[in-house]
Amino acid sequence: MSEGKEKLMLFLSNGLGMFGLLLVILFFVSAIFAPVFATHDPFLLDIPQRMSGPTADHWLGTDQLGRDTYSRVLYGGRVALKVAAIGVSISLFVGLMLGMLAGFGPRWLDNLLLMLFDTIRSFPTIVLALAAVSLLGPSLELILTIVIVTSIPGYARLARTSTMALKGTEFIVAEQSLGAHPMKIIWRHIMPNVIGPLLILAAMDVPVVVTVEAGLSFLGLGVQPPTSSWGTILNEGYLLIRDTPWPIIAGGIPLVLTTLGFTFLGEALRDVFDPRLRKGR
Amino acid sequence: MENLFEINNLNVDFKTPRGRVHALRDVSFKAPRGKIIGVVGESGSGKSTVIWAMTQLLARNGVVEGGEILFNGKNLLEFSERELQAFRGEEASIVFQDPMTSQIPVRSYSQQMVDIAYRNKGKTKADKIKRAIDMMRRVGIPDPEQRIVQYPHQFSGGMRQRAGIAMALLMNPLLLIGDELTTALDVTMEAQIIHLLRELQQEIKATVMIVSHNLGLIAELCDRVVVMYAGEVIEQGDVRQIFNNAQHPYTQALLECDPARVLERSRFLPTIPGDLPDLHVWPTGCIYAPRCKHATRRCEQERPTSFDIDPGHEACCHLLDPDHDSNDEAASVERLQSKTSGYDETATVEIQYEGDPLLKVEHLQVRFRTMGALKAKLKGIADPFVDAVLDVSLRLWRGETLGLVGESGSGKTTLGRAILGLVRVHQGSVVFDGKVLTDLPEAALRNLRQNMAMMFQDPVGSLSPRQTVRSLITEPFDLHRKGTYSTEDEARRLCDMVNLPHNFLSRYPHELSGGQARRVGVARALALEPSMIIADEPTAGLDVSIQGEVLNLMRDLQGRQGLAYLIITHNLPVVRHICDRLAIMYLGRIVEQGEGEAIFNNPAHPYTEALVHGVPQPDPDKRRELVSIEGEVPSLINRPAGCEFHPRCKYVQGRCRTERPDERQLSDGRVVQCHYPLIN
Repeated sequence: MSEGKEKLMLFLSNGLGMFGLLLVILFFVSAIFAPVFATHDPFLLDIPQRMSGPTADHWLGTDQLGRDTYSRVLYGGRVALKVAAIGVSISLFVGLMLGMLAGFGPRWLDNLLLMLFDTIRSFPTIVLALAAVSLLGPSLELILTIVIVTSIPGYARLARTSTMALKGTEFIVAEQSLGAHPMKIIWRHIMPNVIGPLLILAAMDVPVVVTVEAGLSFLGLGVQPPTSSWGTILNEGYLLIRDTPWPIIAGGIPLVLTTLGFTFLGEALRDVFDPRLRKGR
Repeated sequence: MENLFEINNLNVDFKTPRGRVHALRDVSFKAPRGKIIGVVGESGSGKSTVIWAMTQLLARNGVVEGGEILFNGKNLLEFSERELQAFRGEEASIVFQDPMTSQIPVRSYSQQMVDIAYRNKGKTKADKIKRAIDMMRRVGIPDPEQRIVQYPHQFSGGMRQRAGIAMALLMNPLLLIGDELTTALDVTMEAQIIHLLRELQQEIKATVMIVSHNLGLIAELCDRVVVMYAGEVIEQGDVRQIFNNAQHPYTQALLECDPARVLERSRFLPTIPGDLPDLHVWPTGCIYAPRCKHATRRCEQERPTSFDIDPGHEACCHLLDPDHDSNDEAASVERLQSKTSGYDETATVEIQYEGDPLLKVEHLQVRFRTMGALKAKLKGIADPFVDAVLDVSLRLWRGETLGLVGESGSGKTTLGRAILGLVRVHQGSVVFDGKVLTDLPEAALRNLRQNMAMMFQDPVGSLSPRQTVRSLITEPFDLHRKGTYSTEDEARRLCDMVNLPHNFLSRYPHELSGGQARRVGVARALALEPSMIIADEPTAGLDVSIQGEVLNLMRDLQGRQGLAYLIITHNLPVVRHICDRLAIMYLGRIVEQGEGEAIFNNPAHPYTEALVHGVPQPDPDKRRELVSIEGEVPSLINRPAGCEFHPRCKYVQGRCRTERPDERQLSDGRVVQCHYPLIN
């Protein structure tokens, strides 16, 4: 299809977008193949070498227990990836379904769902997380749940408005006139047309989710030691800041790169697929 | 200088990722001062590109590759940005097709008009507003002092276009350009705008350039006509020379295709076979040769030059060359000819008028809520509804074509959708094939939909954009006869039925032209061999040469399958050729119903008469002197008392203002809602 090719060319010629894609690939590869790239066991203590700077043996130095920071950063990426991939995809899916239902369904359902979305959105994520953790105790699953619940309304609202815009169009009325079941219309004719902007939103949402996890872990409410996460590495590094800056640097850089990568990628995708931003008549 | 502007050998390319499109090639024409010049062509002819090139407002990927545009002797293409601003601000102005998108919705007309007059530095704001009010009065807007502070959404469609003309004329431009300026309007409004433009042009002596695909508009309004095809000017001359003595085969074919020029009622309309050429390649021969009936080998190899026929009348065609050998072997044309002549033009459809009709609509009423129940209570409004369809009764027999005609806002589309159960019916009944649809639950109705199909107005927009043609045309099978058919076989069968090449099956709707998309729509509607089709504006958005093709196809299928059609349209010339009976709608009611040809020749209701006479005739010798109908369709919220047509009726009498006419039957069987029908 020539138009697809055109869009691919447009994307490939977007420098920042390609840079973002590169960073995103790096993030995925480093997390998935962490055991291959890691030089040490992330839990292995090397007390004599504790709090060292970068050396030939420990590329990014060690922490207060002498654990290899480079390996811990790689393994920490796995936590970030897990939260991002599971959290974003589940909330995207649920948000899409609820949003299309609200947009296409009867008025009362729309009002009910909207009220639900607004209620959830009115809680600040971190405060909600703090409350939940103090009630139920810290765990990765809880973080995931909170991430999913709080980001569903964003997707749902976007899906709802796009669905409502489509609802009155002739091709949807045409499907009704053919006798298509409403569920079939939603699945086959509405979803392909609303999912595009949602995927772009999801790409831009990944860094938010990653930082929420890192933030909660930093506060000691997320991933528990000895499991490493970028947040816990930062937290431990914060306590050692007077002795060695390396854990902070090593934990901060992947966070910055991941955020940049997904943001650039998301913006490039939006530029390519959103015709309103296209130049010319 | 006798010419206001002259375009000489203008070439415009558009850069696209798939290479350059040669949108204009060696376009040359002149506009004599103080005349109305019409540029006519179908979509893709480059007529709008001419306007954009003249105003130097081409899209960013457009490049002027050569030529010159002399305006008052100076080449516009060499103007500096400052000179261009002066040109666009004072010397030329444009009226666009859609006033809703070309006027600023958040600024009132007085603000917009003061903005436009920004170049009158010496004048005070009060002067500018005074001039704006004068201008509004001149274009026929009542109470301009009050209305000028209003916003575009507070104006009706016709008034908005009048305001657009007022804004364009505010600076006393030397050149007024109208880009399809009546296309979005109803026939009655169109007639008023044509009349207004003719009057104004006499008054202000400006040069006017009208760009349109509408031959009737061009014939009624213009002094000179330029005919464009695929980016070239193929013929130009005085309006009578073009309409009465067309020389280029394309101009001739275009005129033949216009249903308003086919005077005899004919079941099959003429068409121009073939498609627009691909403009990515620079044409070697005559651009029209692939579709031309008279094409010879020379036409395919050599570009024709312009020949003078009469003074001021020239055309680009080898046939006009005295040395041309017209017996030279004709090339690829035969294939095209055979494709369309496949219809059996003599086939007639037996309409079974005995027994029960296929569709029986009784006293149907459809209403829409205007405000919430609570708000209405608070405001003290007892009845917060408008009636879009009111007390409509119709019959449709098997094999019959019924035309439903009315201006926009007359409720014809709503009626069509109500019959299919796509909008909720308030009162009355729809009986289809013996079953009362209005009583059926949604699930049962869904199942019945295989027997009645609908074709929608927008050929491309009514196809789901992310589905291939294959899945679109086999979807009816998927919905109603799952598992009993072979997708590939059915897709091929339907493609053959509507003359669509098989390689289109894997395309997406946006890759289709209007005519191709329309054929996909027909295939979808006919897939399950329904007994009735409701077609909403089946020819809207199609070029004249394609219109006939779609209607012929529909007619042919009717002959073979005994279909009944309900055709909803505002296009009277088309309806005349294809409909057995007509129903004329006004404000949600059917004001006249009866045999089509009789209604056309002798309208009984004054509104029908206004509609029939409102169509601009594509013949410059039949220009109308008087506007057939004044005013606009009133709002459904304030239905006039008495006969609802009386505020616009030229035969209005005292009784019409107070008493609503009942239905009455005339001697020839017609049913009319009028106290004083024009015939008995």
